[in-house]
Amino acid sequence: MSHVTHPEKLYDRLRATVRPEEGAIPLFVYSDPEVYRLELERLFGRVWLFVAHESELEEEGAFVVRQMGEQSVIVARGDDGEIRTFLNACRHRGMKLTSEDCGVASMWRCPYHGFTFANYGNFMGTPFERAAYPPNGLDRERLRLIEARCESYAGLIFATWDKDGPSLPDFLGDLRWYLDIFAGRAQMELVGEAQRWIIPSSWKLPSENFASDAYHTATAHAFLARLGLVRGVDFGRDGYHVDAGGGHGLGMGVHDDRPGSWFPQELEPEYAAKLSPDQLALLHRVKNFHGNVFPNLSFLIPNFIPVDGQLVTGMMLRMWQPVGPDRLMAWSWFLVEKNAPAWWKEKGRRMYVQTFSSGGMFDQDDTENWEAQTEVANSALTRPDEVMLDYTMGLDATPLSDFPGPGDVYDGKFSEAAARSYYRTWLDLLLEEGR
Amino acid sequence: MSSIWILPAEAISPQARIAAEDFLVAEAALLDDRRFDEWLQLFTDDLEYIVPTRTIRRRGNGSDVDWSSRHYDDNKASMSLRVRRLTETDVAWAEDPPSFTRRLISNYRYAAGPGETELTVKTNLLLFRSRGISGQHDLIAGERTDVLRLVEGRLKIAKRHVVLDQATLGTKNLGVFL
Repeated sequence: MSHVTHPEKLYDRLRATVRPEEGAIPLFVYSDPEVYRLELERLFGRVWLFVAHESELEEEGAFVVRQMGEQSVIVARGDDGEIRTFLNACRHRGMKLTSEDCGVASMWRCPYHGFTFANYGNFMGTPFERAAYPPNGLDRERLRLIEARCESYAGLIFATWDKDGPSLPDFLGDLRWYLDIFAGRAQMELVGEAQRWIIPSSWKLPSENFASDAYHTATAHAFLARLGLVRGVDFGRDGYHVDAGGGHGLGMGVHDDRPGSWFPQELEPEYAAKLSPDQLALLHRVKNFHGNVFPNLSFLIPNFIPVDGQLVTGMMLRMWQPVGPDRLMAWSWFLVEKNAPAWWKEKGRRMYVQTFSSGGMFDQDDTENWEAQTEVANSALTRPDEVMLDYTMGLDATPLSDFPGPGDVYDGKFSEAAARSYYRTWLDLLLEEGR
Repeated sequence: MSSIWILPAEAISPQARIAAEDFLVAEAALLDDRRFDEWLQLFTDDLEYIVPTRTIRRRGNGSDVDWSSRHYDDNKASMSLRVRRLTETDVAWAEDPPSFTRRLISNYRYAAGPGETELTVKTNLLLFRSRGISGQHDLIAGERTDVLRLVEGRLKIAKRHVVLDQATLGTKNLGVFL
């Protein structure tokens, strides 16, 4: 079943124009409403989506309300200790069971008719139940909350509506080696609630940007070099570009000119216990790290810059939640090592807020680009010809053969290989075709 | 003897209130006129500039202001960097071309202190922001709590906390100062 009016026509157009292997992507896919309907159904309806971090749900009964695509879900640690993801919808009339962002509850009672569900999903009852549904009340099993598959990796909790799809480790594939370095190198915690804001942009533009685009930093974020915080083009170029497969991508900036880890020495034993020697060696060289878990969870170690005289960075998790073909809601969190020294947590948080986040000096400039690109895409939807965009950077490059991590790894961050891989995975899912 | 007409604000002299109000109105004008270098001079060196996030919670489920998650988490050094970005580079794309802004400051409430030469002023902020030719605008509303300090005969801002009235900001970035 498809909600798109003339799916065959759209499929043909997508097949003919989305040609990532040639470095060609058509403009219309950024914001076309019919493409978006397909995305909600075949991407957001099926793939693993980030919903929460384990540190948010340490207590039994703790829950957060998130979205999978446009659908509201409750992610909760039940009284039995297990973390589950439920559609935030009463089984009686579909009313939202909770409108809060977070809380602790043993059960949710629907505000409409009082249908009540335990924090592990069981239907518990409804007011005057035997009078309303004589003689024995309602079938408990039939009215269990609708539940997504839910698994976690490196503290990151994901959920999917696809009951038969790949496991989360298989979905993440080669990206896991890099996610370990980002989110699994120590016990992590999200600090506080997410910052949220609305950007009039296709949800794909920032996702693709974080997966693949280090090249824009030299222009879009040129202020860094202008103010002497980084040296010229190096901070965008030096390092590696990774096509991790499955639409996942990342870039890593390294600082081989200045040896020694910039991460806190106090955490070194924990890093060493959780990472392989190769992963640890790479961490020691990291000066920035950006990536995207397909389709819409971006992660970032911003470029180290001095805060009150100390070289720090502040890790970010960012979800680009679609709220229409040309609008998204950004969810942004500060992620930090739980056992980190106070200075690293404090200065890292300030660094994150000042560079990224709603008021961040980097983020501001990015939103300007994504909004204008989306506007151009919208206005071009009625053109009789196809506007093709250039995705050829690094098309002929050969991946490194001696890099210790998996995936296709390229020397230097100037490449669009991960963006091409992103759109290949995206197209295959939309057309329901294997690679 | 107490009376319902005795409010905490009466402890603040009319002269102090007028001075504070004039100061904050002039400060808003500097921002609307994009005179950021002059604006930066209005802060003390130990400035604390914090904008917490808001969350949606039921009554009884804790505060809906989350001070651990912040839209701005700045001091004098970082605010100086933000201003230098705007004034010394030609690549501050988010505000170049600049937004048109209009700040409306109202509902002044005063309390003495916390320091001997300090005055705490709560105000309501309504910030109108328009960008580009779309004819659209964003409204950013919030409550400011400022600590004003008398430094060598002049008022300066030692602390600004702004609690915004949206759990999800409706403006695409906070590239404008609050």
